[in-house]
Amino acid sequence: MTIEAQRDQQDDPKETLAYIRRTMESASTFTAISGWGLVASGLVGMVAAWLAWSGGVAADLRIWIPAATVSVVIATIANVLKARGIRVPIWSGVMQRIVWVMTPTLVAGALLTFAINNQGASQLLPGTWLALYGAGLTAGGTLSIRAIRWMGIAFLVLGAAALFLPNLGLAMLATGFGGLHIAVGLDIVWRHGG
Amino acid sequence: MFGDMAGSPAPEDLDRLVHERMRLGIVSALAAQDRLSFADLKAILQTTDGNLSVHARKLENAGYIRVQKGFEDRKPKTEYSLTAKGRKALETYLDQMESLLTEAREALEKK
Repeated sequence: MTIEAQRDQQDDPKETLAYIRRTMESASTFTAISGWGLVASGLVGMVAAWLAWSGGVAADLRIWIPAATVSVVIATIANVLKARGIRVPIWSGVMQRIVWVMTPTLVAGALLTFAINNQGASQLLPGTWLALYGAGLTAGGTLSIRAIRWMGIAFLVLGAAALFLPNLGLAMLATGFGGLHIAVGLDIVWRHGG
Repeated sequence: MFGDMAGSPAPEDLDRLVHERMRLGIVSALAAQDRLSFADLKAILQTTDGNLSVHARKLENAGYIRVQKGFEDRKPKTEYSLTAKGRKALETYLDQMESLLTEAREALEKK
């Protein structure tokens, strides 16, 4: 963009007002992620890990698919409630970008789950889930508070450990989907109010 | 563009401190969030440490924003908030932008 073009853009009041609006929206939704929602998702993760351990199958899809669904529903409700509480639009430009950034990795995760399961290599599922969820969080976290990005990187590390040491798969799932969600959720509650 | 319409604010009437894009971003973000850390502000505005520091200092010197330095988990933490003067400057700037748009619309309707 030339200097002249930049000046024209900056001197356009409509564009300037849109920039102010976008920036205010980004600042408002930046901390609108619900810490309590993450804590609740973590508790669901802990219960799922315990059920999987009791059943003796680490990546039991009959446990983990319902657990993931329940977690998504809880997180969505908690985020809507927090956004309403601090009076910010829930479906803002920032939220749309976060969803668009995260969705491809989550869809890839779903496809790989069925492909890997069909090939009978279910010992690779915990690492695949953790790594892809971590990739999505790390990318989506660039639009939100740093804790989300760090959580994404931690999930990637757990995923790598689970892929190379499949025997630790269930422990990594419990640490990630249970422990990390609870720890980061409490941190957000403490630092960003709820 | 500003000088084209009679009655609209001339470029020299605009508060240059707020008109600059990065400083406008800082003031707008702080109008939406009471307090923001340096790191959060940097992420929201997608800028560099140096750029944010320079512009934040200009706003601080003008009394538009307040800077609080402290520690969190033994690490230094800088937090920014908007002063009453800064909020007023943003409101005035918004009024000027809106009057420019209104006059542009009126000029269009006359044709």
